[in-house]
Parts: sequence; structure tokens; C-alpha cells
Amino acid sequence: MMFRRKLLAVFALTVFLSVAGVAWLVSEVTRRAFVHSDDERTTALLTQFRREFNRQGDDIERRVEAIAGSEAVNRMALALSHAPVDSGPYFELAKSAAENNQLDFLEFAESDGTIVSSAQWPAKFGYPDEAFGSFSGASGQGAFLKQEPVQEGTALGLFAVRATRVGDRPVYVIGGRRLDKNFLLALDLPAGMRALLYQNRSDHFSTDLLINPSTSSADKEYSPAQLEPLIDAVRQYGQEMTAVVAWSGNQADDEAFHAIPLWGVGAGKDRPLLAILLIGNSRRTYVELKRHIRSAALLVGAGGIVLAIVLSSWAAARVTRPVEQLARAAQEVAAGNWNARVEVSGEDELALLADSFNQMTAELLGQKERLVQAERVAAWRELARRLAHELKNPLFPLQLTVENLVRARQQSPEQFDEVFRESSRTLLAEISNLKGIIGRFSEFSKMPPPQLQLVQVNDVMRGVAKLFQAQLEAPGRAKVSCALQLDPLLEPLAADAELMHRAISNLVLNAMDAMPMGGTLTLRTRGESGKVLIEVADTGSGLTTEECERIFTPYYTSKQHGTGLGLAIVQSVVSDHGGRIRVESEPGQGTTFVIELQRGWDSSRS
Amino acid sequence: MKHFGWQWLVVSSLSFGALLINVGSAETRPQYGGTVHVAMREAPMSLDPSDTTQADSFARRNLLALIFETLVTVDDRGRVHPGLAADWQAGPGDQRWQFHLRQGVKFHDGSPLTAEIAASSLRTANPSWKVFAEGDSLIVERDQADADLPAELGLTRNSIVKKNGGGKLSGTGPFHIEDWQPGKKLTLAAEENHWRGRGFVDAIEVEMGKNFREQLNELELGRADLVEVVPEQGHRVAMEGGRVSSSQPMELVALAFSSDPKTADEKLIRSALAHSIDRSSMKSVLLQGAGQPAASLLPNWMSGYGFVFSTDVDLKEARHERDQVRDQIRTAANWTVGYDANDSAARVLVERVALNAKDAGLGLQPTTAATSDLRLVRIPLASADPWIALYNVAETLGMAMPKASGELVEDLYPAEAALLAGQRVIPLFHLPAEYATSPVLNDWRPAADGSWRLDEVWVERDRP
Repeated sequence: MMFRRKLLAVFALTVFLSVAGVAWLVSEVTRRAFVHSDDERTTALLTQFRREFNRQGDDIERRVEAIAGSEAVNRMALALSHAPVDSGPYFELAKSAAENNQLDFLEFAESDGTIVSSAQWPAKFGYPDEAFGSFSGASGQGAFLKQEPVQEGTALGLFAVRATRVGDRPVYVIGGRRLDKNFLLALDLPAGMRALLYQNRSDHFSTDLLINPSTSSADKEYSPAQLEPLIDAVRQYGQEMTAVVAWSGNQADDEAFHAIPLWGVGAGKDRPLLAILLIGNSRRTYVELKRHIRSAALLVGAGGIVLAIVLSSWAAARVTRPVEQLARAAQEVAAGNWNARVEVSGEDELALLADSFNQMTAELLGQKERLVQAERVAAWRELARRLAHELKNPLFPLQLTVENLVRARQQSPEQFDEVFRESSRTLLAEISNLKGIIGRFSEFSKMPPPQLQLVQVNDVMRGVAKLFQAQLEAPGRAKVSCALQLDPLLEPLAADAELMHRAISNLVLNAMDAMPMGGTLTLRTRGESGKVLIEVADTGSGLTTEECERIFTPYYTSKQHGTGLGLAIVQSVVSDHGGRIRVESEPGQGTTFVIELQRGWDSSRS
Repeated sequence: MKHFGWQWLVVSSLSFGALLINVGSAETRPQYGGTVHVAMREAPMSLDPSDTTQADSFARRNLLALIFETLVTVDDRGRVHPGLAADWQAGPGDQRWQFHLRQGVKFHDGSPLTAEIAASSLRTANPSWKVFAEGDSLIVERDQADADLPAELGLTRNSIVKKNGGGKLSGTGPFHIEDWQPGKKLTLAAEENHWRGRGFVDAIEVEMGKNFREQLNELELGRADLVEVVPEQGHRVAMEGGRVSSSQPMELVALAFSSDPKTADEKLIRSALAHSIDRSSMKSVLLQGAGQPAASLLPNWMSGYGFVFSTDVDLKEARHERDQVRDQIRTAANWTVGYDANDSAARVLVERVALNAKDAGLGLQPTTAATSDLRLVRIPLASADPWIALYNVAETLGMAMPKASGELVEDLYPAEAALLAGQRVIPLFHLPAEYATSPVLNDWRPAADGSWRLDEVWVERDRP
């Protein structure tokens, strides 16, 4: 991945993670704040409920006490204390007293619990109050919860009991108010909160026992049965519990319920669980707030990412431009353009780097020039040495021959002619030798530029093999076998067939020289990622590392009679084709010359 | 001079005393004029006596009796007296009856009462009857012997009504319709030329659709002179010195089943229910001592044998009968008991019946729904004539009247016993019609059968 893209990705990721982190943080803080608020509201509502409960209880106590102390009840108690019970005169008494005192329930009962008059169930006179034994002891005490049997079934109410004692048989006044929708509606609930009451009248959960004062249409769509697990848990463990009820697939409809058990009169395990108050707190506000935060975070995140892309593009461009310039300059240097320079602007680290690069290239250029000069001197020295060596060899016989002629002239004139003839042949031979040496040097200097055309390298290889076949199999010398390993799928490439033939021939000659004891000459071609590889391998004695390094130096030869120009010519041809040549060899393991040619090479670029 | 002064003093004193006596006697003498204000619970939408869609009640009957009259009248002992018919006679076999119309009777619109109008009116009320005019006489022919036809003609529904154009009704009663707001208010004015003479009061204003509490409030506020009261109200009004009058127990309160029992088990359950009901505690507490516990359709004062049907609670027998019923039937027998939601007395009665039934192991669920397995009904007995009353009860409850072996009272018992044996009805009480009146209403003497006789009352002009 490009540096700029990496930088862009890092910038964008950083912005995204930052926004996501902030959104999460805000969401978490909001959640905690909501939970805290929810707890506070629930606590406030509970306090309010208990205050309302106690207020209602106190009010009921006062009213029941007032009824118990009324003249009518005292007269009734007096009448009942010394006469057989006749409910007739008191049939309407409970009802009228209940109406006057705004009570939903009012009963007058004898000491054995027999109902004398009942407001909530007038027809029940003469029948016993089944639960009388459980609450008769509460006379004079505070209000308590009680399930009251009524004609329609059972009703939950807040009751108080007082006894009117006239004579020996007290009359109990049992009054109360319903805990019903009206009671729940009387609670001043904050928006989003509601109170429900579950009447625990059955061993099994029933939606019919749930009092829900809400009349919203949405409630009709919700199944109260979803409260069953919470109610069952409260019934099982008898303690306050909290649960979130998912009314629908929409999280905004979720509601957190705090369930509070409401107990009847009794002690310990005998105390009946009469009802469960459910305080619901809608999570809509929280969920919608969370959604808003998420939407805002996504929006800000998306905007941030876009902004990050824009800014990071600008920043990356600003940061990477010098780097790219450096990279391009380095590439140019690598390509051989030692004059490549990087523009230096500013005084930051990149400017310092660019300046250092420029200094480096300047230094490299200087070193290169010095190296070239040194190599040139070395080449001249080598050329001089070779020339001296090459010329010295024929010159020495020439000198000897001439000296021999002079001596023969002086000392043996009779033999001079014969010596002259002999010496002339020698002189001519050596002069011819000198001509040959000069011709080879001349030939090297006159290497023509390649005339490119599509060439089948395999054909060139086959031509070379055919050319040398006779020499390889010539009698009097150790046999060298030739192996052709040519890539049949090799495509033609632009090259000068004659020069390539000459270069490969030189390599073959070199290989033959390397195998005086015979061996195998392998000519190999293969294609490799846009390149054509030409290999000429021998199984000769191989080269040392030093020889490998110097083997392409002009006029360098390890052979007795070599000119040191054969491989130099090969390198020149390869170079003129935009390729390169390397040697792979180890002493005793043979030598392989590898020519790499670019398939799409254009000579005009060279 | 001194002697003259003493004489003058004696004469003056005697004269003043006589004047005071005259004034005192003038207070008890009926006065013409004034308006009687009546409040009633029923809210009839029609004043047509032959309209059977309107609920029957004493109040409606009495209202109609002020406007319309029948050929004969039946007194509170069941005796038949001439009404619009001066006399009548039956043909052989009591199938053909001839009624001679009273002469000089006019409808409120001024037209004379004729046999044709009377025949038309009776045909409307009794489509199955063959009724026709014959001169000044009216002939009624029945398919079979009908010795009680004159008593039946005394029923309100057989009032003689003249229907004028536009459906306007005209009667021959002592009051004519001055203003009629169906279901709300009826204003009647005294008929000056009534054949029995003009009533004392000039007008009667009737407010309809008032519940018992509202009626009593109206009375106590002086806005009503005559109101209906339920027993517990009547007891209280009487205790507070108010004027309460009541009729003989003329209203049957009963539990009526919607159909005949289909199985022996159902008969047992119905019998168990009948045995579980404690009527005496209901009477003493719920009805405040009013009415008579009843196990018969006709009250004892009317039939003379009502006591034969036991009204005692018998829980042991009720449970025994219930225990004989197969379990699955017993479980399924959770009946609904309907009652009139506007009738507070009916509600407590039904609730008490349900409690009693529960003691016997039977489940009854009170309901105000229109349909129910059984229903608490109030049936005003149609007539003091026991046969007519029994026929009317049977007809109201949808029961087939058993064929009577005769027309004598002795034949009545088996007929009623047969009706009760059908277990379509469980009689509970016979209640009187009770009324409370204001102090200004004088000569208010309702008949034993609950008839108002408002044409005989008069009001003091200076209302308190």
C-alpha cells in the first residue's frame, strides 16, 4: 500500500475511532444518567405511593373511627347487645354511612364476624366474614390491605377496623377503599411512568387480575402476559424486583418495571401476598436519546471520515510530496541518473532528508566520476599492459630475428641468405600476428549498433550449436557434448540476430576453452516474467570469485593466449540490447553465463 | 246600655265561634282546582292501552285509567261492576256476550261513544276475538265458554280507545291529554263533562323515568304529591311521619327460567334452588318487612290457599337434591340470574338468592345482561280476579295455562299447582304497591288492588 494511502487510512481510522469512542462515552454516560434518573423517579414514585398509601390509610382510619363513634352505630351496638340479631333496621346503615364517609367498603360485624350490614354486598347480612379472624385483632391499629369478597368476585382494598363496645358484645366497623384504577390514577406520575397493580388472587398468573389504569390504544396491543415472569418471581421470592419488559420488537417500547410486593395482615409466613405494585418506566426517552446519539455519532463519524479523507489527503500530500520526490529521485539515481536532485523547501526533517539526499547524490556522483577516472586509468593501464604483453611477444621474436640477421650478416655472410629467408618468414609471421592483434583491438572498437528485428532466440541458439558442432566433435580433442534445452513457448523478441549470434558464439568458444578435457555444453533458453533468459553452461573447472568479478573487464583473460576481449564483446552486445549478463560459477562446478533480455525492450530508450 | 253591651258581646262571641267552626269545616271539604304532581319510575313511550310492547306497571295502568275506561270495572275483591257498559248478559254456554253501552258518554274529542268504536277498539286489543256492534250493544263471541270475559274486559288493555287521524288517541276517562312528551312528561286536564262528574283537581302532571330516590326527593322538596316508594323507603318515610299507603300484595316477585327443565337433573337443581331461598330474612331485611313471602303465583289474600305452598328455607333438602345430581351436570349448572339494572331492590334480592344458592352448593351469577338463564321478574297482577291474574301471569311468563276443570276458586288451586309443577318459575314474594303522598293531597285512598282513584282526590290551594 502506498504511503499516502496508509496515511489516509490511519487518519480516517483515527477520526472514526475517536468519534466512535466519544459516541460510546456519551451513550454510556447517558445510560448511567438515565439509570440514575430512573432510580430516582422510581424511588420518588415509591415514596409517593407509600405517602399516598399512608395518607389513604390515615383517612380511612379516621373515617372508620368516626363511624364507630357515631350515634347510629352506638345505638345499633346497644340494640345488638341485648336482643337477638335483627339486621333489618340496619340494612341501609352501612351503605349510607359508607356514602357519607366516601368509603368503598363498610361492614358492621358482630364479635363472631357475622355481618350485620354491608355496604359493598348488602345481601350478605347474616353471613360470616370469612377473613374476620385474621384482621379482627387489627382493631385500633393502622390500615392494612385486604382482599374483600364482593358480589363480582374479590376486590383489593385498604382497610381499617374499629370496635364499638357497648355492653358485652362489641360491634366491629370494617371500612376501606378500593385499590383500583382510581387509586392508581390518583398517583401523580411523571411523564413516561405508570403504575399497575396485580391482584394476587390465584396460584397462576392471569391477565384479568392486572389493574392497568392506562387507556392508551398502545396498551391494547401489548400483551400483559409478558409481565408474568416478573410477577412469578416476586411471588416466589417475596421481594422487590426489577425487570425490563420488551413489549414489541421496537426497543423504544421497552419498559422497566419495578415490582413491589404488597402484604396483607399477618406475621411471618402467614402474611399473605395480596398484590404486587408494578411501577413502569418507559425506556422510550432513553432509547430515542440513544438512537439520536448513535445517529449523530454516525453522522459526525461519516462527516469526520470525509473530512479526514480530505484533510488527510491534503496532509498526506503535503507530507508525502517531498517523500515521493525523494523516492522518484532515488529511482532516477537507481536508474543511473546521478544528477537527480530533490527540491528542498522548509526546514523540517523532510527538508533535511532532501538536502541529505542531494548531498548524497552529489557525493555519489563525485565518487562515480572518480571511480570512472580510476577505472579509465586502470583500463588504460590494462590496455597498456595487454598491448605491451601482446606486442612484446611478437616483438621479441622480431628483435631476435633482426639481431640474428645482423649477426648472420656480420658473422656468417654465407649463411645470410638462408638466415634471411628464415628470418623473413619469421618476421612476416610475427608481423601477421601483430596485425591479428591489432585487428582484434580494432574489431572491438568498431562494435556496430544493433539492428533490431524480431528474432527467435531459439533459432539463434540452434544456429550457434550447429556452427560449433564440427569443432566440438573434432578429432584430436576431448569430446564436448552439446545439450540444447530450449523453451518451446519462447516468443520472438526485438534483437540483432547477427550480434546475438556473435555474442553467444563467444560464450561457446569460452566454454570450449574451459573444457579442454571435454564435458557438456548446455545451451538453454527460458522465459521469465517479461524476460528472456539465455544460458550457456559448461562443465569446466569453473571460476574463482575474483575471476567472476573481473571476467567482463576488457582485456582481462585467464587464458594463456586470450585477448580479454571476447566476454567484453559479449557484454557490449548484451548491453546494447538493454540486457545484462552475469556469471554463476564455483571452482570445479563449471560455469554458467546468463543473459537477461527484456522482451519489450526498445532500443531508442538506450 | 250596659245590658246591650253584654248581649252584644255574647252574640259577637257566638258569631265568631260559628265562623271559626265554619272555617274549620271548610278545611276538610273538597276543593276544586289545583294540580296533582305525580312522579313515576316507568317511562312509557305510548299511551295506547293495546300496545303490548310497553312494560306493564301499576303506574301505567293507573295513568291509562285516568284517560281511558273499560266496559266494566273490577273492584279490589274481584267483583265486576258496570263501566262504559251499563249492563250485560251472556248467552247459553257463556260463549256469546252482549254488552249494552252506557248512554250519553262522550269521548274527549266530543264525539259520542258508539258500539262500532268500542267494537273496533276491542278487536284491536284482542285480534282473536269476534267483536261486533249490534245497535247500541256490543257483541263478543268466543270459541269456547268464557265465564270470566266481563272481568277480562276490565283489564286496562281492553280500554275503549278512539283513534283519530294522525294516531291521536281519545278516551272517555275523567281526564284528557293536555300535553304528552313520550317517556318524559304527561299533563292531563280534568274532563268537565265526564259521565261520572268532574274530578276535583284541574290537572295532573306526571314526571316519568324518575328512580325511587329521585321520586322521594321530589316529594320531600314539595315538587311531587304522589310518588312510588320501595319498601325500605316506605319504612323510613313512615318512621319520619310521612304519608305512606300501600295496596294489597299485588305484585309477584319471582325467579323465572327462560325455558322448561329439559332433564331430571335440571329439575332437581331447580328444586334445590327453590328450597335454598331464605325468603323470611329477605323480607325482614331487604324488604324491611314489606310484602309476603310467596311460593305461589297468586297471593293468599286473592286465592285463599297460598299458605299451602311452603316458603320455608330447607337447606338440607336443597343439598340432598343437589347431591343427587350427577357431578358434570352440577358443575355445569352455574346459572346467570338477570335483573333490572335500574331496580336496586331487585339487585339485592338476586344477590341474596345467589348467596342462598351458594349455601346449597349451587352457583348463580347475577347479571344485568338482557339474556340470562333465569331472571328476577316483577309481575303486577293484572286483576283482583284470581283467574284473570293467573292467566295473565302464565301469559307473561310464557307458560301454557293448564286447562281448568271449572271456573270456581276450587278449580284454581290445581291450575296454579300445575303451573308451579312445570318449574318455570320460583315465586319469591308478593309485594304491595306503595305510595308516598304529600300533605296537600287529600282523600287519597288507593284501592287494595293499587288503583289510584285520582279523580277523587283534591289538593289544598295554599300549598305549604
